[in-house]
Amino acid sequence: MRTLFIVTIILYAAAVILQFTGTAFKKERLLKLSWLVFLAAFAVHLLFTIVRGVAAKRIPLSNQFEFANAFAWGVALMLIVIRRRLKADWLSVAAMPMALLILTYAALQPMEIRDLMPALRSAWFGIHIGSAVLSYAAFVLAGSVGLRYVLLARRNGAEEESRLRQMDYLSYRLVAFGFLFLTVVILSGAIWAEQAWSAFWTWDPKEVWALITWIIYAVYLHLRLRGKRRGAAMAWYLVVAVPVVLFTFAGVNTLLPGLHSYG
Amino acid sequence: MKKALRFIRSMRFGILLLVLIALCSVVGSLIPQDKAVSWYAQNYGSLHGVILMLRLHRIFQSWYFIALLVLLCLNLTLCSLVRIVSVVRDRRRVVARTAALPDQVRLSAEGVQRLRRHLEDIRCRRETIGEAEVYRKNAVGRYGSFLIHLSILLVVLFGAAALYLPQVVDRTCLPGESVVMDDGTEISVDAFHIEDVTGRLDYSSRIRIRLPDGRNSEWVDIRVNHPLAFGSWKVYQQTYGTAGSVTVTNLADGGSDDFTLTDTALLSLDGASGLWYEAVYPDYLLDPSGNMTLVTSTTGRYEHPVYQVLLASDGNLRPILVFPGEELEAGGLRFRFNEPIEYPGLRIKRTPTVINALLIASFVLMLVGLYIAFFMPPVLIKTDAEGYAVGGLKPEGMRIKLDELLQEYRREE
Repeated sequence: MRTLFIVTIILYAAAVILQFTGTAFKKERLLKLSWLVFLAAFAVHLLFTIVRGVAAKRIPLSNQFEFANAFAWGVALMLIVIRRRLKADWLSVAAMPMALLILTYAALQPMEIRDLMPALRSAWFGIHIGSAVLSYAAFVLAGSVGLRYVLLARRNGAEEESRLRQMDYLSYRLVAFGFLFLTVVILSGAIWAEQAWSAFWTWDPKEVWALITWIIYAVYLHLRLRGKRRGAAMAWYLVVAVPVVLFTFAGVNTLLPGLHSYG
Repeated sequence: MKKALRFIRSMRFGILLLVLIALCSVVGSLIPQDKAVSWYAQNYGSLHGVILMLRLHRIFQSWYFIALLVLLCLNLTLCSLVRIVSVVRDRRRVVARTAALPDQVRLSAEGVQRLRRHLEDIRCRRETIGEAEVYRKNAVGRYGSFLIHLSILLVVLFGAAALYLPQVVDRTCLPGESVVMDDGTEISVDAFHIEDVTGRLDYSSRIRIRLPDGRNSEWVDIRVNHPLAFGSWKVYQQTYGTAGSVTVTNLADGGSDDFTLTDTALLSLDGASGLWYEAVYPDYLLDPSGNMTLVTSTTGRYEHPVYQVLLASDGNLRPILVFPGEELEAGGLRFRFNEPIEYPGLRIKRTPTVINALLIASFVLMLVGLYIAFFMPPVLIKTDAEGYAVGGLKPEGMRIKLDELLQEYRREE
């Protein structure tokens, strides 16, 4: 199983290197090859996740390693869907390294399979954590789109203008998607907390940081409603928000122990 | 006054409140909450005075945090009212207003036909107003934002009620015993197990609730995530403990009694000679020279339990470690040490069930609102012989989609 994981990382790394080389030297063939390697990495990644789930006899989302693994897979899945549906090839250069980065973080975590602890044996487990994977992946991709926007906005041209508009709208859609699922995370977590700990809300650090993340993206959605607050400023906002998402995901568990410290 | 009201219901004020709530939350997550005052003095040195003065150690209960939540509720109430009034008032006007829009994109006659066919394909409803044909879809999307704001307001209100109204007490209860609440409700524990039959950690209690009116629940196994709700009571498996079990026999008359010990206790006839019970440990380690070190357990399993006791006789206290099954004699008593007894710590909550139901209904409303707002944006497109215009509250997405569609037409042509 470890071999599958290592192969996944190697393939993602190869895809990223090919992507950067292809972009730097404007080689279309390298970019196409990069995408094929990325698809292969995604397939192996999926296989690894399934094999691990079968071995653990549960959804593999119970610790930092498994969540980071699923998080990276979520980013890759969304990149594939967006590229296919919107023909947004430009997203790869920012999104592929994100998937690789998150998977590298997973590689640094203890990988052994453990029994699900009693507190996690609940029907809400899959909904709560699965939604977090989708939500964080959408926010990270929105940040990637924001980064691409900021880089592209330096050029001035009619073609760029149209693409910038598309990017701005795509990041809004990603944030909307992520926001809906983050709300599912918080609300399902509240119902689960009432079942497990007797209170819907305990101001546990993980809950608090999920709320902070929710507020950050709620503010984005409101600012964007105000007509003039679009473009580069909002793209920067999304880029700056990504570390908050990553802190909510990994930093809180590492630095602020609480009821969610399941290892 | 009007100006102040306009500010209180404004989006700018709402954003300001959200940012302040987020900042307080950051502080509340970085400074451990609800510790003893001495803890802050120890860990924050001279800063602890500032922490206590600003109530940063109980920030989520501080007056200013609660004031922020109250202001947010006010902002949401006013903003929701204004929003729903304008949405309902404009629901008929939007079509006419869209029909009056000047063309934003010019198209050939064939282009207009293709666009109209596309709009019919995506199931838009058509309305003819003068020269213009207005296509519309997802009218319900106009209510999404209102539903979101209303539901946030309800979540804050019912959430506060669900947080502060319930009476919560934590009680330990030995198997075979009961806990009686103030109103006469009786919660009985039949058994408690740390492991299930397969040896997997489970922490399960078999309990029953008897209400003051005589109604009984079934005997139910509760465990974490599976509390028992009966009447307005809800009982949670919260913690666990292990008690020592000692059978004491009076050597003079042969009478005996079983004692279950959760705290230190003296078992004696005269109050001086006998056995001081200290604790029971789950396991021990032996070093090569045979010295024993007692160890604790994080799981609650008692693999090799050891009793730590003091034998009291002639004014002396002698520490002894004893294993289950062994016996000691002192002060005319014989002490037989049995296997330790596991017992649960229960969290007992009394809550108006209607509050929980209303809170969960608010959650559902919020998700419905978010889905409608983000994934069912209202579509309002006016077409005439020369082109089209996109109207409504959120025209951006449809403009981009139609741009892409037109580019596709042009490529085909």
